[in-house]
Amino acid sequence: MMYGQDEEVGYEGEDDTDDLTTDLWQEACWIVISAYFDEKGLVRQQLDSFDEFIQMSVQRIVEDTPQIELVAEAQHKAGVVESTPQYLLKFEQIYLSKPTHWEKDGAPSPMMPNEARLRNLTYSAPLYVDITKTVVKPDEDPVETQHQKTFIGKIPIMLRSTYCLLSGLTDRDLTELNECPLDPGGYFIINGSEKVLIAQEKMATNTVYVFRQKDSKYAFKTEIRSCLEHSSRPTSTLWVNMMARGGQGAKKSAIGQRIIAILPYIKQEIPIIVVFRALGFVSDRDILEHIIYDFDDPEMMEMLKPSLDEAFVIQEQNVALNFIGSRGARPGVTKEKRIKYAREILQKEMLPHVGVSDFCETKKAYYLGYMVHRLLLAALGRKEEDDRDHYGNKRLDLAGPLLAFLFRGLFRNLMKEVRMYAQKFIDRGKDFNLELAIKTRIITDGLKYSLATGNWGDQKKAHQARAGVSQVLNRLTFVSTLSHLRRLNSPIGRDGKLARPRQLHNTLWGMICPAETPEGGAVGLVKNLALMSYISVGSQPSPILEFLEEWSMENLEEVAPSSIADATKIFVNGCWVGIHRDPEQLMSTLRKLRREMDIIVSEVSMIRDMRDREIRIYTDAGRICRPLLIVENQKLLIKQSHIKQLKQREYNNYSWQDLVASGVVEYIDPLEEESIMLAMTPNDLHSDEVQYCSTYTHCEIHPAMILGVCASIIPFPDHNQSPRNTYQSAMGKQAMGVYITNFHVRMDTLAHGLMYPQKPLVTTRSMEYLRFRELPAGINSIVAISTYSGYNQEDSVILNQSAIERGYFRSFFFRSYKDSESKKGLDQEEVFEKPTRETVQGMRPAIYDKLDEDGIIAPGVRVSGDDVLIGKTLTLPISDDELEGTQKRFSKRDASVFMRRSETGIIDQVMVTINQEGYKFCKIRVRTVKTPQIGDKFASRHGQKGTCGITYRMEDMPFSCEGICPDIIINPHAIPSRMTIGHLIECLQGKVAANKGEIGDATPFNDAVNVQKISNLLHKYGYQQRGNEVLYNGFTGRKLNAQVFLGPTYYQRLKHMVDDKIHSRARGPLQILNRQPMEGRSRDGGLRFGEMERDCQIAHGAAQFLRERLFEVSDPYRVHVCNLCGLIAIANLRNQTFECRGCKNKTQVSQIRIPYACKLLFQELMSMSIAPRMMVT
Amino acid sequence: MGRRKSKRKPPPKVKNIQKMAVTFNCPFCNHENSCEVKLDRQRNTGYISCGVCLEDFSTNINYLSEAIDVYSDWIDACESANN
Repeated sequence: MMYGQDEEVGYEGEDDTDDLTTDLWQEACWIVISAYFDEKGLVRQQLDSFDEFIQMSVQRIVEDTPQIELVAEAQHKAGVVESTPQYLLKFEQIYLSKPTHWEKDGAPSPMMPNEARLRNLTYSAPLYVDITKTVVKPDEDPVETQHQKTFIGKIPIMLRSTYCLLSGLTDRDLTELNECPLDPGGYFIINGSEKVLIAQEKMATNTVYVFRQKDSKYAFKTEIRSCLEHSSRPTSTLWVNMMARGGQGAKKSAIGQRIIAILPYIKQEIPIIVVFRALGFVSDRDILEHIIYDFDDPEMMEMLKPSLDEAFVIQEQNVALNFIGSRGARPGVTKEKRIKYAREILQKEMLPHVGVSDFCETKKAYYLGYMVHRLLLAALGRKEEDDRDHYGNKRLDLAGPLLAFLFRGLFRNLMKEVRMYAQKFIDRGKDFNLELAIKTRIITDGLKYSLATGNWGDQKKAHQARAGVSQVLNRLTFVSTLSHLRRLNSPIGRDGKLARPRQLHNTLWGMICPAETPEGGAVGLVKNLALMSYISVGSQPSPILEFLEEWSMENLEEVAPSSIADATKIFVNGCWVGIHRDPEQLMSTLRKLRREMDIIVSEVSMIRDMRDREIRIYTDAGRICRPLLIVENQKLLIKQSHIKQLKQREYNNYSWQDLVASGVVEYIDPLEEESIMLAMTPNDLHSDEVQYCSTYTHCEIHPAMILGVCASIIPFPDHNQSPRNTYQSAMGKQAMGVYITNFHVRMDTLAHGLMYPQKPLVTTRSMEYLRFRELPAGINSIVAISTYSGYNQEDSVILNQSAIERGYFRSFFFRSYKDSESKKGLDQEEVFEKPTRETVQGMRPAIYDKLDEDGIIAPGVRVSGDDVLIGKTLTLPISDDELEGTQKRFSKRDASVFMRRSETGIIDQVMVTINQEGYKFCKIRVRTVKTPQIGDKFASRHGQKGTCGITYRMEDMPFSCEGICPDIIINPHAIPSRMTIGHLIECLQGKVAANKGEIGDATPFNDAVNVQKISNLLHKYGYQQRGNEVLYNGFTGRKLNAQVFLGPTYYQRLKHMVDDKIHSRARGPLQILNRQPMEGRSRDGGLRFGEMERDCQIAHGAAQFLRERLFEVSDPYRVHVCNLCGLIAIANLRNQTFECRGCKNKTQVSQIRIPYACKLLFQELMSMSIAPRMMVT
Repeated sequence: MGRRKSKRKPPPKVKNIQKMAVTFNCPFCNHENSCEVKLDRQRNTGYISCGVCLEDFSTNINYLSEAIDVYSDWIDACESANN
């Protein structure tokens, strides 16, 4: 097989017959795309990132932790000089086992994901580490003991990652394990609940940004957030700013626009020249050489003059260091210390990414000079300011980096605890037990806490931590799950008024879906990945640096400053490493290496900025990339031979990876995208008309790949007004369908499912990868766009009752209830049993008879509101104050689980098991069938939603000459203002597809399908070409006056149903505290007469009505007040005695009526020594 | 209606540029913030004195000097006198 491949490669270039023509590409592109998804699936970013964490980060964090050194604290006992042994602990190799569960009795067993889900366990694997313990006793040889594979904690495992038990299993095996073969994984199971880590967007570090300032002290700001990769240090920010003209500090503005630096830990701005002098570059010429590479640039020289003048008074390195040191260190320390402080700041805190070791001054001076240079370029108007919203300047923190951040902190805590524990023993002169010193709960519980709550960081500092990083995986429908696993979040305050970070940026093309974003507060801040986006996991820059050294890059340490002007600067991960004289040749070599996957991995991005004479190479994690076809000499490098092999990929193992390896496709990130020429279709490469470009370097695989998961469901999205696609992207997540194939063995708290789902008649090619055919969420309905009887006005729809009776949009609904036994203390015990009224206190007026003897209801029982599902009792503690001798009536209290008040159903499944703590644990699933009715919500795939206004039996619906009558009638007014032309084309295409007996294509950006072509086809089947039909009124049998647009359209049933919302109350439960009606439907609460409603009534002057709403029907109450003091008096209504103790008044008491909340307020005021007096006379 | 303020409030940001101290601890009487600095820009001299023990010191200053530099010079002078 390999031989054959080589042979074909040999042909390449000479033989034009192997080229892909435009026509061939039409189909070939989908083979390439299929190969991509076959290999990667839809959640590759999650899996790759997590694998990187497990395989690299954990080991790195453990290794990078310095060894623990312990010496006994001198105890100064008995006047003897103690000899104290020294203990050294070094953590070395780590090992991760497969996910394991330890039962309460300690027996380990492999844990399967579905078991974890059902039993509310955490799907996690134990982590072990080799520890070397060295004891050094004075005058003795060190004793080394190995503690191999010591358990240090459990790490939650991402499903379907390399370390998951499910990885590499066949569909059949998965099914046997009660897993859905279509489930993509990419999430965790924490305490039985599925958690997704949402990718967090952040600004890229180690990049120089220049911004123009308005109305500020500074005219320009240059900012770099510098950060050493893989270190726990926080980023340190350095600014190099140019002062605004005039402005503050009149005395200093006399010399012009100075440039200053803001260094970390230094309290004041430092003149930039002083920083250079402190770095050891003293003479003006030396400094200028590092900033202005070309001395024949008078403009730039002039710009620096004020700064030079200002720093004239400081001409020595030590003076400069002293100057900086005295502005950072505590006042009152000696000169020596100040200089040392300044040196350390410059070495360790300023630009740490350039280097934190000794002798980095040259590199730092060059970098600082480069920053000033950039600043001057912007100030001189030679370069525009940088764009904060450019996606090349963004990085995404995925599961891997997020977990690494947590793990680093937790491992540090673990070390601290080990040190504390061991120190205690050592101080007593004893040795310590290493196994006991390691508190495995630190890592286990720490990771679990953050994943369970989404508070990313230490539990103690929960309010400082980021919230919402981990979310419960949405299982409403399969696309909502997929979309959730590909979501991004920008942690910018939702109330920020700045529109720019929310807007669609040009650089998002192909990386992030342009349609799928929530409406409202988070619009544009929450994003979703486009289908083919790839997120880099990061690789080491060292091989590239070595290669550059070999390829005649001049290292910055050795370079003459004068040579920089004509050479090209090379940056690797934001760090300036050297210059090169032949960038063209270097770039082509680098590119060749990447395409051959030799030295350079394919996710590395390389940008040649010709104008600025820079080459930037990035190997860091979190860049979004996407694959593009490589074009050379106006021809695609991908040939027919590649496609042929891909077609056979089931047999020959040829895959997407081989395409990447053979250098016909490559990953491009938003920064590199700016430096390429990108053709939209291969057609653009050799069009016969006027050529737009003759230097294409890349070509799109297919423009439909710019869309995300939810937008790829929409047929003909390129014919819709764009907000409609956004609406549908949000609505598709609420549609009912088959949310996963193993739903019958899952116990989700809530689940909806469609009983007769259909794959859509009109599909996009992308839907194949989303498995929408296998797990659909809708029904192909015959839709008429017409008015009829007036019951479909204002976005309501008329449904065909006969269709509903045949099962149209019938759905089921599952709700699961859970409870567990427990023991709190010695006498408080919670037990499942059937409570009896004789011994159990606080039983509700509900039917307990449906329970079996074990206290759990049986499957198949019909239940309705307030029925008991799980009987549970709580033993009452024995209290002393009860009268001796009297027989206690109740020994237990009821703690049963009841059915939701407003729901009915049939017990579908009952599960009894044992949970993590070893207690009996029970989950009960109730099933309800929901048939469509008036008020239920439906939607097409074009943001056209509506509720059912009425249902007509078939005979009352309009019908065509063929006897076809619609399932749904929507109102024509829904179309013109919303401009959802895709809706109409879908219907037309659906009609053709139904007649043809084939699935209709509705892929966007496809010129092969257009309305005229569809119409012609339809005409051939004997229909009116635009899809209109003559209909007859179902009530009268008369022809309708107009022809009606009729055809099959895919409709979705949305989860919002009237029966779940209907609510009314006259009297009902009250809140205990303020005796006002309860809130919410689930508590049978009242409807709030709120502030704004109150305002209206005041404006009307409807005082009596207001009194009724706010008082009589809310919390009326009466109190008795003393006429003398106005305070609440004691009233004994039984024997009609009243008294105000303070006034010694028993006669002059009045009864007043006030809201209970008001009385409560007065009493609270009195409790804080404020006397609210209600004077009644 | 007085609504309760949200509990989740981000901690106040530490400014990158802070005010430099203008009064200092006296190296002689150790009084806190008792030393005040006068900068005479015309004559390029800085003068510092303790308001409590009336110790004083003067030094040359330059265009960029500030109170802290005069104080630092004083500390250095004390240091060299001690050795």
